[in-house]
Amino acid sequence: MPLADYACGSAAHAVSRRGFLKAAGATAALGPLGFAAPGAAGELARAQKRVIVIFLAGGVSQFETWDPKPGTDTGGPFRAIPTSVPGTHICELLPLTAARMHKLAVVRSLNSTSPDHGIGERIMLTGRKPEAGIEYPHIGAVAAKLLGGENAEMPGHIHILPGGGGGRADATFLGPQFASVPVPDGRPPANLLRPAGLTADADREREALRQTLTDRFSRSRRSAASEAYAASFAQAERVFRRADVFDLERESLKTAERYGRHDFGRHLLLARRLLETGVSYVKVSHSNYDTHHENFDFHIEQLAEFDRPFAALLDDLSDRGMLESTLVVVMSEMGRTPRINDRYGRDHWSNGWSVALGGAGIKGGAVVGRTNANGTTIADREVGPWHLFHTYLRAVGLNPQRNFYPNERPVPVADPHASAIDEILA
Amino acid sequence: MPVRSGLTAVLLVFAFTPAAVADESLHAAVDRFIAAGHPDYAKQAAAPADDAEFLRRVTLDLSGTIPTAAETRAFLADADPEKRTKLIDKLLAAPGYARRMAQAFDVILMERRKDTRVTRVAWETYLREAFAANRPYDEFAREILSADGTDAKTRPAARFFLDRDLEPNLVTKDLGRVFLGRNLACAQCHDHPTVGDYKQADYYGIQAFVNRTFLFPNAQAPTAVIAEKADGNVTFMSVFDKTKKTSATGPRLPGLKALDEPAVEKGKEYAVAPAKDVRPVPAYSRRAKLAAAVTAPENPAFARTAVNRLWALMLGRGIINPVDQDHAGNPPSHPELLDHLARAFVAHGHDVKWLVREIALSKTYQRSSEVPAALGDVPPEKYLVAPLKPLPAESLAYALSEATGNTSTDAKVAPLAATFRGVYGGIAGEPDDGTAPTLSQTLFLKHGPVVRGLTQPKAGNLADRVAKLPPEQAAEELFLSVLTRPPTADERAAVAAAVTRTPAATRPEFCGELVWALVSSAEFRFNH
Repeated sequence: MPLADYACGSAAHAVSRRGFLKAAGATAALGPLGFAAPGAAGELARAQKRVIVIFLAGGVSQFETWDPKPGTDTGGPFRAIPTSVPGTHICELLPLTAARMHKLAVVRSLNSTSPDHGIGERIMLTGRKPEAGIEYPHIGAVAAKLLGGENAEMPGHIHILPGGGGGRADATFLGPQFASVPVPDGRPPANLLRPAGLTADADREREALRQTLTDRFSRSRRSAASEAYAASFAQAERVFRRADVFDLERESLKTAERYGRHDFGRHLLLARRLLETGVSYVKVSHSNYDTHHENFDFHIEQLAEFDRPFAALLDDLSDRGMLESTLVVVMSEMGRTPRINDRYGRDHWSNGWSVALGGAGIKGGAVVGRTNANGTTIADREVGPWHLFHTYLRAVGLNPQRNFYPNERPVPVADPHASAIDEILA
Repeated sequence: MPVRSGLTAVLLVFAFTPAAVADESLHAAVDRFIAAGHPDYAKQAAAPADDAEFLRRVTLDLSGTIPTAAETRAFLADADPEKRTKLIDKLLAAPGYARRMAQAFDVILMERRKDTRVTRVAWETYLREAFAANRPYDEFAREILSADGTDAKTRPAARFFLDRDLEPNLVTKDLGRVFLGRNLACAQCHDHPTVGDYKQADYYGIQAFVNRTFLFPNAQAPTAVIAEKADGNVTFMSVFDKTKKTSATGPRLPGLKALDEPAVEKGKEYAVAPAKDVRPVPAYSRRAKLAAAVTAPENPAFARTAVNRLWALMLGRGIINPVDQDHAGNPPSHPELLDHLARAFVAHGHDVKWLVREIALSKTYQRSSEVPAALGDVPPEKYLVAPLKPLPAESLAYALSEATGNTSTDAKVAPLAATFRGVYGGIAGEPDDGTAPTLSQTLFLKHGPVVRGLTQPKAGNLADRVAKLPPEQAAEELFLSVLTRPPTADERAAVAAAVTRTPAATRPEFCGELVWALVSSAEFRFNH
């Protein structure tokens, strides 16, 4: 399991500073490819369901986002502001999101059961409590397998994250072809581009010979594995041909400004481009919300960075007719304590925090569950990550009751003891 | 060859089924049982593999790499009717055998888990020595199951437990899977919902062997060893049981009687009593009973699982398949063969090398992977046609190094093998079927500097050699070196034409691209 790489107590805990206004020229320069078709979301692609998870790593504060408690002992300094949904207020740090609240549903009564970065992330992404003897696949691998399938045009599970890293233990028994393809810092996958010295002509020629040899071999020999192997070259070729998708310079200056030129803005714009090319699942991590110190200052900074590109993403998906088929989820590995500590920080908290959802299958404007007046306990409609997991699947038209069959034994796709949160399903 | 114990000699009496012929070799018996498993076997089965196909297959299976072009030429030219048997014996006697088996058993035993308490080097060395000495498999298993990590000599053997963090449920599951052929994970919380044979009591019976063990001095120490308490019992309750009845079990293997445990006198529970910074040693150790119980003749699951896993290694699928699903609902494809193999293996002192040799000698193993034109559906469990087995990560590294004419010494290829393990090694803790190519793998092969470094010309490597040959000889050298076969006439002509039309200045690089095309073909990626 990829555990959060900023263990409590480490230096990184004090919230890493981001490379603001990173020069746009730092985006990998891609040569002219000839057949680039940016933004080509065909009819087929529109009908196909997709998922984007925006993961606010470190644990975002529910008070400073979806469940403000102004004027209480736990509320902190910020106001609650009205939104486009009458009667629903969110924190003033999200003004652009507030104006689009009718496109979102909020669950305010989540008990995710673990105030630990690694375990919390795993629980939130698998919709299961950790069990000895079995590792459940992450929602990204599940979406890649069930929405995109074995023969998807593009890899179905992509993780855009700041910095390096990115593991592939997230597909577990579904197999490595559904594991996340890491896109560290928005750079294209490793080895995507042709190495220097390999000309297009030589590449074509060697591909033709490889193909001829494989065809000859496959004429008299049949196996699913060898067919998958042959198909993998075609997939790599498709991704290579769409290498332009990683080139944000192809977006207009205006669009780039709408998303913001900081890392998270670029990453979210890249996510939109990937979804347009037919990728089933994109996860974008935004770091770092682990605000044991100076919770309020850091949330001003972090959420300012979140609010604008998130609003731009919702607008773009709407404008392109993709929001109806794209499930958007904003989650964390946990929330933050009601108690404000003596360093103006909030600590780890799993019992009563919020997640926002929108797009495919979600009833915009719905609010489910309630915490008490100062957010110290869940007052109504407690749900767990397992209920959310069922909800994600239902939202994109998948049956959470079905089974996977690793090693020919049935394993339910979603926790069989839970069910979807019907109130937020359209 | 291991010495037969008195016990296995007794078992020999039962080693023959009624239909068996006296003095029948095991490989002949294999072919007899396989043929009997299909009504029309002789007619439908594929032809024997030709020499080139056989040479490549058996070299990959027994030494984890491919033969050199010179070895291929020599073998193809050899007129000796016994040359296949001689080749098998040569490969089994060479150091490549121990390396290959060490790689295979690393995956079987550890499934690519991280090395935290035993280094990979120590573990590989341990495995390699075990297979070089051809230690009897029961003795080897007993060491794996009993080592506690305190003795530097056998500490690597304790990796099975140490690098599973001694986590009771994980250890229980994998003891069942690796040594008993049973994945009882579903029986942790209740009797298995779909497999009638897998009971919750079986799960906890296995767990009771290890429920008193823990990591000493603590789980964080990379030098931690296994310690044991003198008390602690296993109780369990089905989550489906409305009456909430709690059951208890002592150490017991599935299908067998519970262990007779001695009554320990109060006050004398420990040989070394627990104290601060002291590793306790109980007077009676449950875990000490595990190794003997698993490998005892009363536990047929042990030999049955061992032969089934070795069979799967050679034939691409288990007689029980998947190899950890031995139960009535998933019967063996050839039950009598499996019984016969298990009995013969025990009678032969759990001799792994002997069993592998017998399988390699069988006609079943030596069939072609080419599907006969008349055969429509190919049911894999009938073994009519040889399977396509993806090269494991390590074999891919060794074979690629060999094929491209780069150095193939262990010291040079080991780091390459580590790189390939990272790219092709599958997911830690999951069975590695190697069937699912990933985008990272394909891009690694297409554009990555590692593969490019091997395929592009360097003094003396394959691309360099081919570039210096007359174009009409290029294909011969390429195909024998990479695919272990001579090119067809078409291939010969196509390669010659392509090389000829390439300007002399870029010919070496172009030959590198030809090498790439061959190593990227399905024919190279699979052991066929």
